[in-house]
Amino acid sequence: MPLRWVPAVAIGRAVRIAARLRKPGGGSAVPGLVVNRLAPGFLGSVLFSFPEGLAVVSGSAGKSTTTKMLVAVLEAHGKRVFTNPSTANISQGLTSALLERARLTGRIDADVAVLEMDEGHGALLSDRFRSRVVLLTNVMTDQIDRFHDSEKVLGMLRRIAATATERLVLNGDDGLLARIRSDVPVRRFGVTDGVLAASPRGLGYAETVRPPEADGAVVTAVAGASAAVLLDGRQHQVRLPARGVHYAVDAAGALTAAEEMLGDAFDAETAVAAISAMPAVFGRGEVVTVRGVQVEFVLVQNPASFQLNVDELEEGLDQVLVAMGSDVRDPSYFWPVDASRIGRALVVTGSKAEEIALQLIYQGVQVVRIEPDLPAAIDHFLSLPAPARGVKTIVFTADAMRRTRAHLGLTS
Amino acid sequence: MTAAILTLFPEVTDVNGDAQNALVLARRAEWAGEDAVVVPAPLWAVPDVQPAAIVLGSSVDSALPRIRDGLLALLPRLTAWLDAGVPLLAIGTGMELLGSRIDLGNGSVVEGIGLLPGSASPLAVRVTDDLVVDAAEGRLIGYENHARGFRLDAGVPALGRVVTGVGDGRGVDGVRHGSMIGTRLHGPVLAKNPAFADALLARVFGRPVVPVSDQAKAADAAAAAIRARLLKGLPSR
Ligand SMILES: [Zn+2]
Repeated sequence: MPLRWVPAVAIGRAVRIAARLRKPGGGSAVPGLVVNRLAPGFLGSVLFSFPEGLAVVSGSAGKSTTTKMLVAVLEAHGKRVFTNPSTANISQGLTSALLERARLTGRIDADVAVLEMDEGHGALLSDRFRSRVVLLTNVMTDQIDRFHDSEKVLGMLRRIAATATERLVLNGDDGLLARIRSDVPVRRFGVTDGVLAASPRGLGYAETVRPPEADGAVVTAVAGASAAVLLDGRQHQVRLPARGVHYAVDAAGALTAAEEMLGDAFDAETAVAAISAMPAVFGRGEVVTVRGVQVEFVLVQNPASFQLNVDELEEGLDQVLVAMGSDVRDPSYFWPVDASRIGRALVVTGSKAEEIALQLIYQGVQVVRIEPDLPAAIDHFLSLPAPARGVKTIVFTADAMRRTRAHLGLTS
Repeated sequence: MTAAILTLFPEVTDVNGDAQNALVLARRAEWAGEDAVVVPAPLWAVPDVQPAAIVLGSSVDSALPRIRDGLLALLPRLTAWLDAGVPLLAIGTGMELLGSRIDLGNGSVVEGIGLLPGSASPLAVRVTDDLVVDAAEGRLIGYENHARGFRLDAGVPALGRVVTGVGDGRGVDGVRHGSMIGTRLHGPVLAKNPAFADALLARVFGRPVVPVSDQAKAADAAAAAIRARLLKGLPSR
């Protein structure tokens, strides 16, 4: 590693310190912005400097879960891993994250890097780095419906895929990803016909295909937060960080990419144990005890995740609260989601309470009470006696989740 | 006899939940003690039914030629239904495709099927905001998200006058022609405007339709709250 990045790194650090002084805990993208302007080659050069190379994870959904799983598996194999926080997937944020860890020479004390990139920024950066392995998760319907067309999304993913020097790891069930041609060998992960058939509305991909054969990890069964995965001819039981088939698919992708990154050093038992030991994801079917009451939180980020999460709810739940916040400007686009499985919503809340209540009522859900004031609604819901069936379940959008957590004093 | 509420090509016309207006009609009919069912009509697989009402929602531009071809294949049946007075609610690009042509603004044009006397052309900017329209059915509220206006031929009435928002430009929104109604109010417009839904149902059943169930009361109370918030501060008509 040459010394030519020393001035850029030093300036980046100075800027970082200045930014922190001005706004404690914030300003994380600023140093990256400055360094990228001063030394446009810095980012690619650092990304090239990991002795055991770089893995990149991209696609519509499941990127951050897959990235975390891949990191966990690599670390369980004794690797020192550099990874980016999921919010910092723009080039400035990434450079800033690199600066956090870089020595003055621009070198980072890690064996290997695993980076989550969104399609747009990843494509923009794609001629500035090479990766050993690129993993593409999927192209979800809701991402290409409103403002993007599938060719545009696919074009961005093609550019990211083209950075792979060793292996392209693809979700083999995704019909749009199947159209990506690659110069390097491809390995595919996926689910069995049985798992697909057991998902009432499919997997949410814009196009689902049955691959001739998935030669990577294959999900053979999912039951709640536990999955069976076929890997190298053997069945493994994996505990997932949250319930649902898409987490099992994320695990299959991470296991396949880890095997490529580690080669002969890969040990399936170690890998499966690492994923099974991951903490539950907040807002993704995690059961938390608040005010002495068990509550399951379910985060809805878009129509696809709304549908998947609703489909995974236990049937006949006794106590459900649905909260839609101001992050949803126009709730119309949730109407294609069939939320009838909720059955009965004891409380509907948030600044879009009436909008989501209207959808629920027309879909046959009994809405017992509409209380737009979120803290009041949460207090009322938690004070109700324990449900006769299942746990209290709160389904919320991202903004409603933030406000709920703040109200309950939950951190993490 | 069960009223079949036909929703055309829902797999490509439900981007904003427009196709769900068929569900709204069927539910409100049930709530009024009538018998109604939603009949989805996929592209190239329109079932052989006599519809009581038809919903055609909005789609993305890349799908317009396909939907247009599907409509053309359906044209003989569609004209027969319309001649028989079957109400049709067309939203966004659904309305545009029933017109004569759509100027996409990038040099290309998608021909419509020519049932509506009007054509679509680009607005100066994309509109994504609340839309309020004064129509014969009352003050209609909702949301618009589109980049084109719909210019009506001389003498053809619009659905109504725009109070807030853009609609089809020039101060009006949508169209009324024969038994067809077009609008830019996207998504569950009939759920947010129960009086509009019930006016359509009255045409379907040939008599006033009054939803009276507890669900109807809950739905209409929610709609009233949405309307009150959106209409606050607007001059009354
Ligand atoms: Zn997911």
